[in-house]
Amino acid sequence: MTYFLLKMSATLCVKLQRNQGWLPLIQSVRHGSKAVTRHKKPVHILKQKLIAVTQYIPPARTVPPGAYPSEEKHVQEDNEFVLLLKKNLEEVFEECKMIAVVQTNACSVDDMLMLRHRLCKHSIKIRFFPNQVMRSFLSNSVYSNMAPLFIGPTVLFVSKEPKVKEMMSALRVSPQMTLLGACIDNTLLSSQGVVSYAKLPSLTVVQGELVSGLTMLTSRTAFMLQRHPAHLSALLQQYIKQQSPDDGAEATPKAEEAS
Amino acid sequence: MAATSKSTVLLKAVKKITIQFCPFESNVRSTREFLALVGSEKVRSTNTNCEVISVVKHDKSEPVIDVTYVDGERLVMKGEWLTCREMLSAFQSRCKDKDPQIKAGAKK
Repeated sequence: MTYFLLKMSATLCVKLQRNQGWLPLIQSVRHGSKAVTRHKKPVHILKQKLIAVTQYIPPARTVPPGAYPSEEKHVQEDNEFVLLLKKNLEEVFEECKMIAVVQTNACSVDDMLMLRHRLCKHSIKIRFFPNQVMRSFLSNSVYSNMAPLFIGPTVLFVSKEPKVKEMMSALRVSPQMTLLGACIDNTLLSSQGVVSYAKLPSLTVVQGELVSGLTMLTSRTAFMLQRHPAHLSALLQQYIKQQSPDDGAEATPKAEEAS
Repeated sequence: MAATSKSTVLLKAVKKITIQFCPFESNVRSTREFLALVGSEKVRSTNTNCEVISVVKHDKSEPVIDVTYVDGERLVMKGEWLTCREMLSAFQSRCKDKDPQIKAGAKK
């Protein structure tokens, strides 16, 4: 269609072209997509890829060493009260063989007093230290595995002698105290461990049992070795006993006959 | 912690609360806090028939709170990943639901 029009216009325009200033007969009208739009036109995929590949990656700038002030680690110096508490804690750990950790669930004052009284009879003291101080002290010392016990309202039962049975009986009376764990003779025990420790017999009994168990074998061999001579001596004694009543029996009828 | 509103909740709806945990684990914080709240004198004085039993274990088991209500319903909360507040709100909402029912039943 446009070719026909071209031809037509070519014949017609030959003369027209000589006249300057005339608009051309065929004007191709550009329609379709525009380059400049009001909305953001989606970028063609190839152009997208090109941009992605050729994107500028700036070099990583290292901060020169003296530029920023160095971040100091938050080492808060302990105030004096905390230092005093830590000293007390050290003394407690050195002196006392038994340290039990008990969770108290908001005990009333009366119950606490009764408990203190009961435990004082067995020289068990109740001591309280703040959890933060406790945890910071424990993390620096050997007893760091006790640290997870100290959450919430906790109280320490300390005593120089490991009097576990009395402690357990006192705890059984007050139901709101929960035994979490104990450190007895530098050994960390759970509550079940404490219960089994309480059921252990005393040291002398255990030593006696050990000694008897060890000597049992040797005593058995000694007995086996001496069995024959012992048997023989027993038989001889029995024989003598039998002989002596016979002599006594013969002597008494002779005496009766005589009298 | 929302401890003050607890004092009206523990009335007659709860029969027994059993809290078991292993204190050497690291996930028991919320359970222990729940125990501290529930086991306090104030709360327990609202219902003296209710027993609060705490069992301390050492077998790396997860902390469990087992609540037995008066009508036999049980609420089991596994406190490993729950916060104390969530457990408390769940417990309180159930207690509130049961309490008016019991009161209405008693009135009738």
